[in-house]
Amino acid sequence: MKFRLEDITVYFPYDHIYPEQHAYMLDLKRTLDAGGHCLLEMPTGTGKTIALLSLILSYSLSRPSSPLKLLYCTRTVHEMEKTLSELRRLRDYLFSELGPSSSSFLAIGLSSRKNLCVNPRVLSAESRDSVDAGCRKLTASWVRALAERDPSVPTCEFFEDYERAGSSAILPPGVYTLQDLRAFGKQKGWCPYFLARHMVQLANIVVYSYQYLLDPKVAGIISKEMQKESVVVFDEAHNIDNVCIEALSVSVRRQTLEGATRNLHRMEQEIERFKATDANRLKAEYQRLVEGLAQRGNLRVSDTWLANPALPDDILKEAVPGNIRRADFFLRVLRRLVQYLKGRLETDNVEKESPVAFVASITNQAGIDQKTLKFCYDRLHSLMMTLEITDTDEFLHIQTICDFATLVGTYARGFSIIIEPYDDRMPDVRDPIIQLSCHDASLAIKPVFDRFQTVVITSGTLSPIDLYPRLLNFNPVVSRSFTMSLTRDCICPMVLTRGSDQLPVSTKFDMRSDLGVVRNYGRLLLEMVSVVPDGIVCFFVSYSYMDEIVNSWNESGILKEIMQHKLVFIETQDVVETTLALDNYRRACDCGRGAVFFSVARGKVAEGIDFDRHYGRLVIMFGVPFQYTLSKILLARLEYLRDTFQIKEGDFLTFDALRQAAQCVGRVIRSKADYGMMIFADKRYSRHDKRSKLPSWILSHLRDAHLNLSTDMAIHIAREFLRKMAQPYDKAGSGGKKTLLSQDDLEKMGDEMLY
Amino acid sequence: MYNGGDGPRRRRPEDGPAADDDEDDDDVDGDGGAGLEAWERAYADERSWESLQEDESGLLRPIDTKALHHAQYRRRLRSTASATARIQKGLIRYLYVVIDLSRAASEMDFRPSRMAVLARHAEAFIREFFDQNPLSQIGLVTIKDGVAHSLTDLGGSPEFHIKALMGKLECSGDSSLQNALELVYGYLDKIPSYGHREVLILTSALSTCDPGDIVETIQKCKNSKIRCSVIGLSAEVFICKHLCQETGGTYSVALDEAHFKELIIEHAPPPPAIAEFASANLIKMGFPQRAAENVISICLLLMNWASHVQVIPSRRCHGLALVVGRVFLVLGTGLTFLLCALDASNTFALIVISIFMRVYTTALAVRVTAFEACLLTQAS
Repeated sequence: MKFRLEDITVYFPYDHIYPEQHAYMLDLKRTLDAGGHCLLEMPTGTGKTIALLSLILSYSLSRPSSPLKLLYCTRTVHEMEKTLSELRRLRDYLFSELGPSSSSFLAIGLSSRKNLCVNPRVLSAESRDSVDAGCRKLTASWVRALAERDPSVPTCEFFEDYERAGSSAILPPGVYTLQDLRAFGKQKGWCPYFLARHMVQLANIVVYSYQYLLDPKVAGIISKEMQKESVVVFDEAHNIDNVCIEALSVSVRRQTLEGATRNLHRMEQEIERFKATDANRLKAEYQRLVEGLAQRGNLRVSDTWLANPALPDDILKEAVPGNIRRADFFLRVLRRLVQYLKGRLETDNVEKESPVAFVASITNQAGIDQKTLKFCYDRLHSLMMTLEITDTDEFLHIQTICDFATLVGTYARGFSIIIEPYDDRMPDVRDPIIQLSCHDASLAIKPVFDRFQTVVITSGTLSPIDLYPRLLNFNPVVSRSFTMSLTRDCICPMVLTRGSDQLPVSTKFDMRSDLGVVRNYGRLLLEMVSVVPDGIVCFFVSYSYMDEIVNSWNESGILKEIMQHKLVFIETQDVVETTLALDNYRRACDCGRGAVFFSVARGKVAEGIDFDRHYGRLVIMFGVPFQYTLSKILLARLEYLRDTFQIKEGDFLTFDALRQAAQCVGRVIRSKADYGMMIFADKRYSRHDKRSKLPSWILSHLRDAHLNLSTDMAIHIAREFLRKMAQPYDKAGSGGKKTLLSQDDLEKMGDEMLY
Repeated sequence: MYNGGDGPRRRRPEDGPAADDDEDDDDVDGDGGAGLEAWERAYADERSWESLQEDESGLLRPIDTKALHHAQYRRRLRSTASATARIQKGLIRYLYVVIDLSRAASEMDFRPSRMAVLARHAEAFIREFFDQNPLSQIGLVTIKDGVAHSLTDLGGSPEFHIKALMGKLECSGDSSLQNALELVYGYLDKIPSYGHREVLILTSALSTCDPGDIVETIQKCKNSKIRCSVIGLSAEVFICKHLCQETGGTYSVALDEAHFKELIIEHAPPPPAIAEFASANLIKMGFPQRAAENVISICLLLMNWASHVQVIPSRRCHGLALVVGRVFLVLGTGLTFLLCALDASNTFALIVISIFMRVYTTALAVRVTAFEACLLTQAS
């Protein structure tokens, strides 16, 4: 269908549109008009992605003079593929409506080499880093130069063909998923990864992961030359502040330091070898460093791998300090730094320092000044290039150290250094760690806001929506939260505060190991498994609490009783094990045996796995998933937030816990035809300050009568709800409650607005 | 008819025991309310509070049944529309009713228990079924302790089935859909193609413990055109939905007892015929042919006679024909034996009536068999 939205014509590839999609598009359009950033919350399952894509493309079509570029950031490869398939549908529709001229845009997905490589020799490696290294071994410029002289040196034929094709190696317009890119690359004999990276500059729509924009190490290479008139979309962005923080945080353990020492040793040998054979090379590098690092842009595309983690541009214009220009001098500096860090790790107390104090202490004890530290990362990069090191995965340790040094040297605010001799939860095991933790999410995302005209942050759970602008330090022109229009009440959130014996349940620290609470939680699950069909997902607040409670259920025989109704699967910290458990969980749901999945809020499962349809008819959130509040890093961050952004500790903790809880329970409902129940099993959820931070689409279904339930009442409600949902229903909605709008409806709406 | 909140539940406890006594005689089977006073029963069984619901502002009001009534109205419209559209119906049905008597059937959310409700309405259904499908047959299967038992074989006597069902009412263990399907498949697969193979599963369990892959069994049922329908008593289960979708049956979940009654009765009228078998063809029924056989078969007619006559349901409209049939049958049998004994050359043409007796045990079949047998023997 196509319809007018203010002054543009929107092409929408479906015959009907949800009212909230229409409203979403309207707000988005106004944002584009204003040229600012926006923050939009709309529940999953309402077609956010297609609404976004179709509006932005239509907008760009209706303003041919200023074409927009769309950078769409997703969290996972799976989401990326989904987005691209929606795009393909949209393109087919545009093709049928407008003909080939207007629909000839190029959309590609970009991912790591691991997902794009077609060379079987390289692909055989398991991890991402080793695939990267394997690729570099075959494609680095010096390897290829060597291969020209000596044909026995292996190179990658795909890359060679791509290089040979030169500027004629381009993708014809169309929509390319990763799969398509690989197929295209195989067919043409071109390397899909480098082709995609090249095409990113030319494509109209790029779909890639957050890191390509947020992690300064990667963003410098991939997203450097994007035009200002781009629209950046962060989808599923409820955790965007954490992504930003992680991009700038480094932790150094004993193993890292030992690895770094080995790396240094090896580099020293290399330098000796070069001195003996090819001394000119080191001299040439020295000359280059005297001139400055600015010419880094001239490096060949295959040689740039990791760039500057520090953001200020002036660092590139400055000359590298004299004391690290010579390779062996630089190694000596690094060795002193590693030695110093080793010394700091030996401490028996928890220490917390600001970057300024830390740098001062380095200057005193190791004799390295702040400016030198700042250049470590680039200097290492340059040195590794000079030494023709290709197995970069071996050198991750020293890279980490240099990353650390550069960050410490660059930022004086928003960071702190925390040294812990052991993990708080396991005080017996000595596992010292130096953490450089970033507290300010706005640091990493600031360049994105500054550089691009419009940044759209959207997700199913962004509540409370006014906190995000403060955390990320920007001014949105539009921030809105949409609710879902439903033909029937297909979600049933409940707050359970008491067990069947009317005693309160909670995972508050003083109550969580109380036997009564554990038993009440057990009885709740036991009753529920006998009432709810197919899949049930349970979320616990932490791994340790899950272990504890499952153990105690096992001892009291509750687990055995549960197993009579449904099979039990548990998430572990091991990814392979969890994947297997999930797989079997799905099978148990498919064959009618029924299953319960025990999982942890903030775990892998809570973030990326959907439990839609019969895979999740009920999700129980046992407790409020607060962060581990004794963690030094969290305390430091809270303090920083209070001082800088005036966000109260309690507010932030509640916000963070509730968004996790909403994220967990939101896993069960992925479309409007679906239905599911959500139980918040903790007495604290009934308090207004907690509850009000849930997203509005959950709150609007949370009836007052369901706010203070005991187990038996919840069972009764569940029975009624499940029976009601099993009845056939009318998808389009009837009477005054229209949930699907056709073209005619929209035209009528437009007329009403006019008159 | 289903009437939600103000039907059988309209009674309030304050109506007093006198009001209860009039209605209780056919309502309570004695399982749940035997040891209770009448006023206690009003709480224990009637659950009058369930017919109330709290609205946004916390006020009590009867459950809103408008949406349900609307759906019902639409369904009826649809069914009358389809009735006028001359859809061919499958008249000769072979229906197995599978009753789930696993642990879940003992739950008390239906009063007095799910099992009692199941039995009560299964009985009504069996009677209704034979009323609407005089040519069809029913068999009963129960699931208990993860195993499926055949309670009765296919047969045409409602009393016989009902008696067998009422004698076996106890529940325990897990439910196994696959075992039940395999059992029923074994019986129904041999039914000739003019008969409609159907299974109606009344389930209260929410999970099924199967020995193998149930999806294969479903595929098997689908291939041999067994139409499986499920009525659930608690909630929508994925595998049941899948089963019904695959085999072309209907899946429904009962909201309460009245709704359950309505759902089960919906299965009584004959379903549309399967397209492949719907082409008009002659079904040879009760027309035994003379065929040359080398083996001398022994006629077991008289031995079967006694057992089958009891099974023949007495029906007012068919009463007279039946009597005539019986007379002819006796005559015919006598003649057959006479002929066999007298004429040795006729041995090859011995008509094996017992085979027909065994297969066509419905009233009509027996009648025609008897009649035809008589005619044939007379002619010979």
